[in-house]
Amino acid sequence: MYDRGKKMINTLKRISAVARIVLIDGLRRHALLGLVALSVSAEAGAFLFFDFIPRDIGRASSDFILSLAWLSGFIFLYFHGVQVIALDEERKVIYSLLARPISRGEYVGGIFTGLACLLLLLNLLLCLLGFGTLMFIKQQVLPVYFSQFAMSYYLLAWLGLFAMELMLLAVILFFSGLVRGSFPVLLISLSFYAICSGLPVVRDAISQKASLEGQSTSLKSILQGMTAFFPDFDRLDFKNMITSVTSPPDPSLILVNFGLTSAYIAVLLWLACIAYHRRDLQ
Amino acid sequence: MIHFIDVWKSYARELFTASPVALRDISFSLQQGETLGLIGANGAGKSTCIKLLMDFIRPDQGQITVLGSPPRNHKIRSRIGYLPETANFPPNLTALDMLRFTGATCGMRTAAIQAASEKWLRRLALWEARKRPLRNYSKGMQQRANFAIALLNDPELLILDEPMSGLDPIGRADILGLIAELKGQGKSILFCSHILEDVDRVVDNVLVLHKGRTLFAGQPKRLANEQGCPTFVEGYLHLVRQGEEND
Repeated sequence: MYDRGKKMINTLKRISAVARIVLIDGLRRHALLGLVALSVSAEAGAFLFFDFIPRDIGRASSDFILSLAWLSGFIFLYFHGVQVIALDEERKVIYSLLARPISRGEYVGGIFTGLACLLLLLNLLLCLLGFGTLMFIKQQVLPVYFSQFAMSYYLLAWLGLFAMELMLLAVILFFSGLVRGSFPVLLISLSFYAICSGLPVVRDAISQKASLEGQSTSLKSILQGMTAFFPDFDRLDFKNMITSVTSPPDPSLILVNFGLTSAYIAVLLWLACIAYHRRDLQ
Repeated sequence: MIHFIDVWKSYARELFTASPVALRDISFSLQQGETLGLIGANGAGKSTCIKLLMDFIRPDQGQITVLGSPPRNHKIRSRIGYLPETANFPPNLTALDMLRFTGATCGMRTAAIQAASEKWLRRLALWEARKRPLRNYSKGMQQRANFAIALLNDPELLILDEPMSGLDPIGRADILGLIAELKGQGKSILFCSHILEDVDRVVDNVLVLHKGRTLFAGQPKRLANEQGCPTFVEGYLHLVRQGEEND
């Protein structure tokens, strides 16, 4: 038991050593600092943006801030994340790291943790700035626009956003384990995201058609089954609840959604570890 | 230290090409305190041997043992110092960051990491540049930084892939002196190089590879004698030409 605990601690130390260098490298990367500066100035642009909205200012402003944060996270994942993961192999950085006593599984865990920490920092910064922006707008407009503003839903919306980004990060790591080169990984991961975004729309259209015609189609079941591979990101999108007057969803449903997200990330990381373990790194 | 027995390796086939065989039935061993040089032309299979030893790639057939374990056992790498052919670091890190990473993964204490980092950075004339991003290092400085990283954990076995690559004559002489010093300390060293004069100066034995096959294994002097040539370099060239003709 003691040995197992010690082994686990050593594994965590090695994962954190990899995560640390990914974090430091990211924090010193000029392109990433540029992305942060752009995101911060765009969020600050919400001060001007709300002047152009004739009504429902609270919902529109929070929607603007969360959408900007999603875009920043998206750019981070597809332009920094893909590069870090795939270029590790293309430029043989992976040799310098795996020449040390770390297993390939620990390498995957370290890269994921390091990039997740960078994403967390980005989201924390934008979350704080977004909150300040919303509070400023709240003071400038009629109280009715922010009568339903709830801090808990604001945080929940950010948690949902972060969970979606972590899912995409796990997907990128998984595809990087299967495919060589940053460009193919970028294309496949973007296609994956496009399918995830489009699938609920198709599913709704098929459901509506099936209910109008009064029959259940096998296509509907197939599309439902595909959700296991291509998750529905809308289930983690809570930004409309920040200033919403409608009743919030059942907390147990929210918990189930976060639980499923965690399981999905864990399975993808496990598959990424298997993919890295089995292949030649050349 | 190292046992390489009947190893075959071919790389994954790409579209419309045949699967290239990189190693054919290669066997060699490295004993405690021995220095073995892997030599051969480009594409001979030297780097493939090293990648197999470091578990970057896996053999199709054959058995490999490093420090009594298969290379898949990542724990043995805390006893190995590896120097890659080209230094590729995450671009924004400093030499100190990489040394801390190496020490942390090898289970060294912070004080030991600091002491060993200072020792090797000073020894390799990188102390002043320790806080500069590695991307701003010259090729020679990157190679020396790689050496510092490889030696930080006082490894028993050194695997050096083209250690003199990119170094100027002074840097080369310095690294050769360092290899000789490490050899004197009883370290086991496996290295591959194109520069045959350097190999001749430091190795006990050589393994000559040509197109994935072993052409010769033994002492450099014996190679020269067997080929009827006055020097090891001439003996090597004669052997490779013979190999080409036999192909």
